[in-house]
Amino acid sequence: MAVAELPGGQFLLAKLDDVARWAQSSSVWPLTMGLACCAIEMMTATAPEYDLARFGSEVFRASPRQADLMIVSGRVAQKMAPVVKRLYDQMADPKWVISMGACASSGGVFDNYAIVQGVDQVVPVDVYVPGCPPTPDGLLYAVNLIQQQIRQGGRGGILARA
Amino acid sequence: MPSSQTPPAGATAVDPTAVRPDIADARIIRVGPADLRATLAGLKADGFTMLLDAGGADYPGRDPRFDVVYHLLNLKPGAATVAAVGRPERVRVLCGVPEAEPVVPSVADLWPAANWAEREIFDLFGIRFDGHPDLRRIQMPADWEGHPLRKDYPLRGPARERSPRPNFALKSNVGAGTPASGRTAAALQKQIAAARGQAVPKDDAS
Repeated sequence: MAVAELPGGQFLLAKLDDVARWAQSSSVWPLTMGLACCAIEMMTATAPEYDLARFGSEVFRASPRQADLMIVSGRVAQKMAPVVKRLYDQMADPKWVISMGACASSGGVFDNYAIVQGVDQVVPVDVYVPGCPPTPDGLLYAVNLIQQQIRQGGRGGILARA
Repeated sequence: MPSSQTPPAGATAVDPTAVRPDIADARIIRVGPADLRATLAGLKADGFTMLLDAGGADYPGRDPRFDVVYHLLNLKPGAATVAAVGRPERVRVLCGVPEAEPVVPSVADLWPAANWAEREIFDLFGIRFDGHPDLRRIQMPADWEGHPLRKDYPLRGPARERSPRPNFALKSNVGAGTPASGRTAAALQKQIAAARGQAVPKDDAS
């Protein structure tokens, strides 16, 4: 049980689960990782017009140790795949993955030897965002879906329900 | 109006020097691997101090099958003004490389810029450069097999050539997904449906 005292001597009672999930879902910090042109839209999502900060996700961390969310923003080359996998492994649990755009989700137009045909062959993906590139709104919605998952005790949450 | 670089109609691009002996301001020289180094060293001594680029080309069915192409620029180091430089002179050196023995001498000691360019040609065409200080793959992973820019290399790679194309339409945020998140996604779908008052979808994941 968490008890908070408000000015005027009032109380709030809440389940620790709910408070923790509320805090966790409001601070989903993405990893600073831009793979291709989708990264431009990802940066736009942090800019004032779309303002990812409204959802607490504007703090792009340069270290996977401090990141909660991996946004795979662009096509993943065969040579990049082990790097993506390693970065994912270095992220501390709980962690989530957004596959941003057609290339990250399925290889997109790059149906060739050099590109991994979908990053879900390398890391588990929570949310796919369609588009080439997706609009920043699409990415915001994906972050919202992740937040929704966390609040409902989804995969990876510190107090995850079965 | 066709530009000066447009090949004549009906010409096959098997031998560029046969199609167009010279291109605008660039002289084209065709040499064999035996004369390549001497030619390039001579050009460098003549003032072509800058190696703009080096690349490869594959002409299947031609003998020699490959070309290695060097683009050189004469920077006129003595020129004091822009007007004195004028239009810098350019030379393009083509060297035919036979498929049976794809080896040409390296010029990485003449132009350091050739170092990575030759590694790229080696990586993508499988042409080896004799005397290169560090000849290993530069773009493809180190354990890659084959040389992708050869025309007979399958576009999707040897392993996936006959596999079906992945379908983006089958990937869903609330239905399928990967095993780790699929459970959650299905639960989410149920909750969304319940909130909307719709029929709750069956959990067919388990």
